[in-house]
Amino acid sequence: MVEIRSPSVGKSWSEETRNRASEIIASYPQPRSAVMPLLYLAMAEEGYLTDHGMREVARRVGLTPAQVRSVASFYTMYKREDPGSYLISCCTSISCMLLGSDEILKAIEDETEVLAEQGGAEGLVTVEHVECIGACGGAPAVTVNYELIEGISVERAREMVRWLNKARPETVGGAELQELFGGRRSFDWGPFDRSSAVGPYPAFGPLGTVSIRSQSQDGQHGE
Amino acid sequence: MAEPVTVTINRREVSAQPGDLLIKTAQDNGVYIPRFCWHPRMNPVGMCRMCLVEIDTPRGPLMVTSCTTPVSDGMTVDTTNETVKKAQEGVLEFLLINHPLDCPVCDRAGECPLQDQTMAYGPGESRFVEEKRHFEKPIPISELVMLDRERCILCARCTRFSDEVSGDPLIEFQDRGNHTQVNTFPDEPFRSYFSGNTVQICPVGALTATPYRFRARPWDLTAVESTCQHCSSGDRINLQSSQNRLLRILGVDSEPTNQGWLSDKCRFGFEYVASPARLTVPLVRNPQGELEEATWGEALDYAGGTLREIIARSGGRAVAGLGGARSTNEEAYAFSKFLRAAVGTNNVDCQMDDGLDARLLARVVDRARIADLDKAGSILVWGPDLKEEHPTLYLRVRRAAQELGAGLVVIHPRRTGLDDRASVKITYQPGAGGEVLAELMAGKGRMAEAREVLSQGPVVALLGRPGYGEGPDLAEATAAFVRTLADASILPLARRGNVFGALDMGLSPGLFPGRTQRGTLAYQMLADRWGDIPTASGRDCRGILEGLESGEIQAVVLMGADPIRDVPDGDQARRALGNADLVVAIDQFLTDSSGLADVVFPAMGFAEVEGTITNVESRVLKVNRLAPGPGQSREDWAILADLAARLGVDLGLTSAQQISGEVEEVADIYRGVNWEKLDWEERDGIVVGGDLGYVPVYGECDSVSPAPGQMALHYARTMYDDGVMMRESPSLHPLAPGAAAYLHPLDAEGLGVAPGDRVRITSSHGVLEVEAEIDPSLHHRVVYVPFNQPGASSLGSATMVTVRPL
Repeated sequence: MVEIRSPSVGKSWSEETRNRASEIIASYPQPRSAVMPLLYLAMAEEGYLTDHGMREVARRVGLTPAQVRSVASFYTMYKREDPGSYLISCCTSISCMLLGSDEILKAIEDETEVLAEQGGAEGLVTVEHVECIGACGGAPAVTVNYELIEGISVERAREMVRWLNKARPETVGGAELQELFGGRRSFDWGPFDRSSAVGPYPAFGPLGTVSIRSQSQDGQHGE
Repeated sequence: MAEPVTVTINRREVSAQPGDLLIKTAQDNGVYIPRFCWHPRMNPVGMCRMCLVEIDTPRGPLMVTSCTTPVSDGMTVDTTNETVKKAQEGVLEFLLINHPLDCPVCDRAGECPLQDQTMAYGPGESRFVEEKRHFEKPIPISELVMLDRERCILCARCTRFSDEVSGDPLIEFQDRGNHTQVNTFPDEPFRSYFSGNTVQICPVGALTATPYRFRARPWDLTAVESTCQHCSSGDRINLQSSQNRLLRILGVDSEPTNQGWLSDKCRFGFEYVASPARLTVPLVRNPQGELEEATWGEALDYAGGTLREIIARSGGRAVAGLGGARSTNEEAYAFSKFLRAAVGTNNVDCQMDDGLDARLLARVVDRARIADLDKAGSILVWGPDLKEEHPTLYLRVRRAAQELGAGLVVIHPRRTGLDDRASVKITYQPGAGGEVLAELMAGKGRMAEAREVLSQGPVVALLGRPGYGEGPDLAEATAAFVRTLADASILPLARRGNVFGALDMGLSPGLFPGRTQRGTLAYQMLADRWGDIPTASGRDCRGILEGLESGEIQAVVLMGADPIRDVPDGDQARRALGNADLVVAIDQFLTDSSGLADVVFPAMGFAEVEGTITNVESRVLKVNRLAPGPGQSREDWAILADLAARLGVDLGLTSAQQISGEVEEVADIYRGVNWEKLDWEERDGIVVGGDLGYVPVYGECDSVSPAPGQMALHYARTMYDDGVMMRESPSLHPLAPGAAAYLHPLDAEGLGVAPGDRVRITSSHGVLEVEAEIDPSLHHRVVYVPFNQPGASSLGSATMVTVRPL
């Protein structure tokens, strides 16, 4: 099995992450303003947001851990439980819902259950339903690790889960996913930036998590 | 004051200050608008929507939350029309959707704003038939506070208090939407010195205090207003008892002092009153050397007889008195009169060698009032960590710096509770205070910024002793410097609830009732009334202990004093008391000191006696009784009057109120201060004295730095310690931090010590073996040891110590 992430849960932050945190804090007039980007940083560091990660953020921005947790627990994109290697987010807002997202969600859930019953896929996939992801033109849409697939169908959704289990790609890319499992696209999303594909947490360019990975691996995520 | 505006509330015109909130203006004019989240001492949030009212706007009537709407001229408000009523019913129905309605088993029932306002403004019945949300109930969020999240209506009063007022936001909203709950961070409890306030302001029964849970129903409580005597801020409190047992203390919103808030020590530190360890009968040491129960007559005869012999043999100056700073003014006056007029000695001190010069405390020029903090341009705090020793002043300074824009300079050997709000924080090595002051006066280097802040007048300086490693002269020299700043005033700080009252009653060698000094007209009038006042000058606490050790003083009367625990050098106190021919103790407990006494008289105390106290700003406040004293205990003054009679002197004291009248006659500054006024129209107290012209003198303070191999000792008080009142308060005693050696990380590294390793601290006075802790807030080469912790021996009044790993 491919070791997809090096788990560093509970360890103190790497020097790179610490430097990145200082940079982010320095870009705001008040340290506490940096709480949200730092939470993404903490997620990237440990794979998800742990108590340890929230404490580290609190210490750096001068808030109490309770205040940081208040922010972290308000926003659903801060994952406080390990989402595994692939986070599948199925949009169930109105456009997608009208075009059958309920069935797609059900199919994905069903397929992951089958995987779970077969064993060997622990910590692989987390399925969630989300509000509008801004792809109404390409409904129904899902994201895998925040990489978009438009015009997905029930059958393709099932295939996608099976493929994730089989191929276990280190990173997933929107272009590839769209080609393999997508349908009609709403418009051309432009060239795919591989450096922005980082894992089951969003990659926020200038202040977020992306550059850490791209710096550390020279922008290469190797297949 | 700006030009007032006119607002029409329910067809009645009222005038208000522009900027006032509508809800407040309405309340001030007799119109109560229901509310949950709004609290007059906190910023509004408009969260609960209960205070909706209708105002007229150019575009027609508009519903607004009156807690977030400032009044404006010509505003027309309706708080009772059908639309408003419908809104109130709707809000209450909504709030009750998830509220468990478990009022029959809820502590808050009977005094619950949700219950009361549902009765007054709510719908008769609910339409909600679905399942309510469920949480584990109740969960402890600290040793003192339990949280029932099902009852919570998410008004954010508790979270705002801990953020805005007390500055320790350890509770916050977690999760969102229908799952929103108040909670702490996992394994980081709501360990705040002010947590009890959240319980008091919770508008439902979500937060309850462990010492009070299920003890009483509000309608069974007897209540009386009084004043807290733990620290010298003079916090107004409401004592509540059931069946003669004190059960709860609530804060009273008194503008000049605590403004409704209390520290947990004040709120929960009353359990000792009903402790089974309270003394109930007089004790006399028998020939075998054991304390034995005696009748009052026997005990008084023995104490009086022996005292009489000593006075006959060696004169009054062979007798001394210690204590009185925990008593009422009336009792302190009796003590003063007893020692001076009946015994004939000026050896008396209410401070335990841990305070400042009595003249500075009692007579300083340009004395500040607490309220001056609100108008201050800048504040200088150089003394004890206010959060530990003067919690209410801490809140006032915090508010001034955080909400009212005052600059704040904090100078202390380690971190303090105010650091996060300080414009400038100076950390220094105890013993080097003189140098730090010289730097501050020069305003060079790191002090330039501090001087810049302090150039903003009016300046209020809160000065005291940061720890026992430093003498009282530093505060005095600082006071002298502060007077050179523009528009400066000084608030000198000292420990113990009524230390200022005790000084006012003359419990200091050179002071007499009314803060008078020898050679004044007032002194002459006092002498006329009291008869013989000894002319020999008296000794202060340290002098008394030295005199006892050397045998020059043979007898000592302790009135609510435990010098072995309280003076920095407890071992000296132990030797002194051991060497005395006679130790008479008037106490509530058998303490380390009273346990060594030859005669112990059981005394009544807090909540059992009526009288007055005088707080840090010379504000005289009433204390009241609510419970009987245990057993045969009596009031201090009555014991002293009887003891004086055994010496053949009639002190002429007949009741506490009579003493209060006598104080009014002999102490000029107390003229016009009587119980009648303090009980009714002047419940916030009467300020006495004012500026008595003592000019602090700048003296070079010794500056010592640690010799090679030594470290400077920061030996300071914490809120909870091993003093007898805390020891007998089971809810608070476990919260004492415990003795430990706090070391700077570099020092710990140098010693090869990791957190938790045991170290031995050796001072010239004692040895202490404790665990090491790391404290990066310390100055290099300083070890911090909390004073008087459970199971810890005393290090004495040393400035330099050695620390060795074990």
